[in-house]
Amino acid sequence: MKISELESFGFECLVPAEGEVFHGYVGDLLSEVMAHAESESVWLTVQSHVNIVAVAVVTGIKAIILCGGCKYDSETLKKAKEEKIALFRTKMNSFKSAGKLYQIGLR
Amino acid sequence: MNKIDKILKRIQNYFKEVKVKEFMSSPVISIHMDRKLSCAKEMLRLKRFSGMPVINDEERLVGIISVEDIIRAVENKNLDSKVFEEMSKDVVTLDEEDKITDVVRNFEVYGFGRFPVVDKEKHVIGIVTKHDLMTALLSKLSILYVHDVRREPFVATENFRSSLTGINIENEVAEFKFYIDYKDISMAGSGASKLKKFLLSKGFPPKFVKRVAVATYEAEANVVIHSGAFGVIKAYVEPYYVTVRVEDNGKGIEDVKVAMQEGFSTAPDYVREIGFGAGMGLPNMKKCSDKLMILSEPKKGVIVEMNFWRREDENI
Repeated sequence: MKISELESFGFECLVPAEGEVFHGYVGDLLSEVMAHAESESVWLTVQSHVNIVAVAVVTGIKAIILCGGCKYDSETLKKAKEEKIALFRTKMNSFKSAGKLYQIGLR
Repeated sequence: MNKIDKILKRIQNYFKEVKVKEFMSSPVISIHMDRKLSCAKEMLRLKRFSGMPVINDEERLVGIISVEDIIRAVENKNLDSKVFEEMSKDVVTLDEEDKITDVVRNFEVYGFGRFPVVDKEKHVIGIVTKHDLMTALLSKLSILYVHDVRREPFVATENFRSSLTGINIENEVAEFKFYIDYKDISMAGSGASKLKKFLLSKGFPPKFVKRVAVATYEAEANVVIHSGAFGVIKAYVEPYYVTVRVEDNGKGIEDVKVAMQEGFSTAPDYVREIGFGAGMGLPNMKKCSDKLMILSEPKKGVIVEMNFWRREDENI
């Protein structure tokens, strides 16, 4: 699905980006995410620190959804724009967000 | 004195108390004295041994048959003779309680390739080659970790030699260089991100580049989190081959073997809170790279060298 479509499922978009995602991953340990997340994924996490952008870049993650109502650092927003990584946030926790994305077809 | 002997000599003093039983290879593959030489030849060939102990009916040691003995037999067209006719009978053995220094001296004095370890009844309970000795010393020294997917079984000595001399790398100019700023954790991963773009621009396939980038991120994060010193990432690029070297001059690693264990971490709380420090960095690097070498001692910094070969399924 197109990254921009995520917004219509209740994920608030803070940094838009082009492209599509086909997979998803949930995790808050950066190493674990890098080890297991597929390319062209959307990543659900509660980590908001700027390092998540670099993790997304090296892993090939296209979009990050910050769950549980957490807030991004301003540095993260800036870096994501530079690196063309989409940033979303939601009040839903990671579990519910993952369920929703699974329902709409991400695997 | 060849290079290995020199290295052994230099480091043996630190480990005077290490005993043979701690590093001998066992169980040992032996051959019965009545078997034919052609059989011994096949066993040596298949196992890639250069020699093995010869035993009698009571399974007691009576000699050693080595590749040299076989060659001599081939020259004399004696391959049908029995092992005990051609073996070396004056075998120098070790006791499992012998010290590592005795072993080093044995290698020097006798020039044999291997020493069987026997119990009081002369049963062979182990064998010590230079390979065993090197591996033992290295693991005790904790300065080196080598992981190589291609040559797992007999890699330790070979790579130790080539990596320490480091000729193939040091003389080349790095095509990619990035200086790591350890003072700012938010910068961790910048070098890996840049390297990823660099490799993609060189036309490397995305799947391959991802492996390199993830491994480099981990090494870079380690410098930022643990070293307390500036570091550098260098990449050397060949059409089907990338070498990444991450070096720092920081604290070093106390025990590389322990650090390699999944889940082991010395990361402080504040980095754990932002998702680092799960003890997965080194295991991740091992998983992503085809060969990983870590050289470190406390207070002497860390050198991580990773090799990546393009795999067939990665060429798209």
